Amino acid sequence: MTELIVGPFNRVEGDLEVRLELRDGAVAAAYANSPLFRGFEVMLDGADPRDALTLTPRICGICSISQSAAAAHALADAAGAEMPEQGALAAAILHGVENLADHVTHFNLFFMPDFARLAYEARSWHSEMVERFTAAKGASQHAALEARARLFHVTGILGGKWPHTLAIQPAGVTRVPDAADRVRIVSILKSFRRHLEARLFGGRLEDFAGLSGLADLEAWTQGDAGLFLRASADLGLAEAGQGPRRYLSYGAYPLASGRVTRAGVWAGSGVSDAATGEIVEHVAQSWMLGTAAHPYDGATRPDEAMGAPGYSWCKAPRLDGQTCEVGALARQIVDGHPLALALADEGSVRARIAGRLLEIARTQMWLEDWTQALDPTAQFMGDFTVPKSGRGVGLVEAARGALGHWVVIEDGRIANYQIIAPTTWNFSPRDADGQPGPLEAALVGAPVAEGETAPLSVQHIVRSFDPCMVCTVH
Amino acid sequence: MSQIETFYDVMRRQGITRRSFLKYCSLTASALGLGPAFVPKIAHAMETKPRTPVIWVNGLECTCCSESFIRGSHPLAKDVVLSMISLDYSHTLMAAAGHAAEAALEDTIEKYKGNYILAVEGNPPLNEDGMYCIVGGKPFVEQLRHAAKDAKAVISWGACASYGCVQAAKPNPTQATPVHKVITDKPIIKVPGCPPIAEVMTGVITYMLTFDRLPELDRQGRPAMFYGQRIHDKCYRRPHFDAGQFVEQWDDENARKGYCLYKVGCKGPTTYNACSTVRWNEGTSFPIQSGHGCIGCSEDGFWDQGSFYDRVTDLTQFGVEANADQVGMAAAGVVGGGVALHAAVSALKAAQKKSQDTVSQSEEV
Repeated sequence: MTELIVGPFNRVEGDLEVRLELRDGAVAAAYANSPLFRGFEVMLDGADPRDALTLTPRICGICSISQSAAAAHALADAAGAEMPEQGALAAAILHGVENLADHVTHFNLFFMPDFARLAYEARSWHSEMVERFTAAKGASQHAALEARARLFHVTGILGGKWPHTLAIQPAGVTRVPDAADRVRIVSILKSFRRHLEARLFGGRLEDFAGLSGLADLEAWTQGDAGLFLRASADLGLAEAGQGPRRYLSYGAYPLASGRVTRAGVWAGSGVSDAATGEIVEHVAQSWMLGTAAHPYDGATRPDEAMGAPGYSWCKAPRLDGQTCEVGALARQIVDGHPLALALADEGSVRARIAGRLLEIARTQMWLEDWTQALDPTAQFMGDFTVPKSGRGVGLVEAARGALGHWVVIEDGRIANYQIIAPTTWNFSPRDADGQPGPLEAALVGAPVAEGETAPLSVQHIVRSFDPCMVCTVH
Repeated sequence: MSQIETFYDVMRRQGITRRSFLKYCSLTASALGLGPAFVPKIAHAMETKPRTPVIWVNGLECTCCSESFIRGSHPLAKDVVLSMISLDYSHTLMAAAGHAAEAALEDTIEKYKGNYILAVEGNPPLNEDGMYCIVGGKPFVEQLRHAAKDAKAVISWGACASYGCVQAAKPNPTQATPVHKVITDKPIIKVPGCPPIAEVMTGVITYMLTFDRLPELDRQGRPAMFYGQRIHDKCYRRPHFDAGQFVEQWDDENARKGYCLYKVGCKGPTTYNACSTVRWNEGTSFPIQSGHGCIGCSEDGFWDQGSFYDRVTDLTQFGVEANADQVGMAAAGVVGGGVALHAAVSALKAAQKKSQDTVSQSEEV
């Protein structure tokens, strides 16, 4: 048995280090360490509850609207406030744009460049990968960066600035779009659709969103999506990095008519309700003091001694005592999309990327529909007063998966604030029972060639989750 | 490679045409507030000077500065700057990973000793010997000191590197510390904001790369060209402030009319930044335009100045008025007769506001 420490990882948000135990040329055990701790939950202690709206988005510069939406929903829940229909719609557009942009960024800037590495020089698809995805130079990367910058004009129009938009409040949004704004958003979305159809899919979004099984998917050869699928088939990524195959989603985009995607847990067969009251964060193998608790009762007390058996600042969230994978794939599976369901049991690197591509196509179409439904004459903000005491939960879906904020208010101040981010689920360390987190389990069996210090298989598996390490520990 | 390339070489290698290059030079000149006479100077400098390498390191942060940077500005400006910096070391964007990445950092430091610019995103936490932020198995503060030792100058990107920002908010659990308190023997330029505006970032870096010196700094070490004025001074809602027309609560009638957000906590009157002129997301908008007050994210310690939704209380209204009028006077040559009128109206409104203010102060108690 030898040991290998992989890290720092670049092209992930934040810092990550993975310790691998190797046996017979493959990973026998993996330990994910999130080496960055800032202590947001500690800062929020005793603060004006509304400060959560500006503090928590700063957890992350790439999912800041997700954090802001979760904080707004948690405060609204505590106060019994609700967003008016159009306010919820505008918030969904802001959030949808960020999620869409994050997926496109992940694919082009974070995930695909690994295929342009020299180690793959002999592969038939390598030269195309180099042309399109060489880090900071590839043609697809340039196109995606430009398209993404234009797409973010939508957050400019509705939110003033991005990252760290302030527009989403517990009872609605601060910005009422006028008719001209609506027209501008429609045209921005049109141009983004053109980018997606020309580059990423090489075909109509409706066609990709209409795929219903693995055979359909494997027959998709066009665009960057087709290029990925070709490389994936060649490298066996459908068999690589299998997660726990238990998927959790809180349901994305709460509108007045209900959440746009279904909430629940998929484990082996069908979808059941997610009992979020049963979520427990373990700290046995984290550098944290305290005991396993539901987030309402949880605490964040870093173990300054960084004592064993802890090996990460990350806590270990479990639902009914079990790990869950979260993310685009999980969302699409729980929502019951036929292609995602066909990929559920595979739970691989390929499945995660395909799930994300599927969600890119669907999100773009949702955004177009929502923009059509904007009504500038309607009410966008309702009433909200900070309650003297109470507690509330805000559950949303960030690009990378299920995000929850739990707040307890006493005497008009925050008495406890706990956050479980998507990558907290996916990259959690072991719990009190020694059960490894989803990434740690997915890495077992990954091949590591003699002398490889940054094994390619490990790079693909880690990045297929689209980790956001700054959110993970916060 | 025996000779270090020029900027122009790098740009041409990136497939940028001469025409686009010149366009970039004139854009840069205008972004930096320099006249057309500077365009050929910038072009000449970029054609003849060896490119200055940039090392970009990340400490305790949220990557919002990188995010702002890569989606910002004229696409060409971003391409150019990216092509200049990403060749060296950038944590978020580079190709290499793991120890190869760390080796690339060492190579750059070694090769360009005393000649490179160190750009810092985020800050080092000093508690627990820096163990709250580990890069490559070592505390970030060590990487920072190491990389700064041979740097020509340091750029502190964003509120984190400049002032500590959110992780330094009370009680600052990790003792997050701004860069200038750790690195004390190098010229440091602060580019605060959470995040800074992309155009400001590209503007600052282009200036330094082109002219090989720091732009003019204010007393706090910020580039004066972007941080010389209050957001309030150039806010498009300013006439409503002067007229005493305020939003009382969100989505009320006054909010729809775009009245001033001062009463719902806007920190524009005490915040120095370019948001109300350069704006965000390629000039699309800025927070005040979205109906939310400014939170003052480019000011030191903005997290711990009371609620973001309480009005600014240390505002000397007449001071601000006087200042704005001085600006107005400077423009007199262009505006002509309008100034006298503006001054008269301002005086009138100031008198109005005085009485209004007495009322609002008693409300607050």
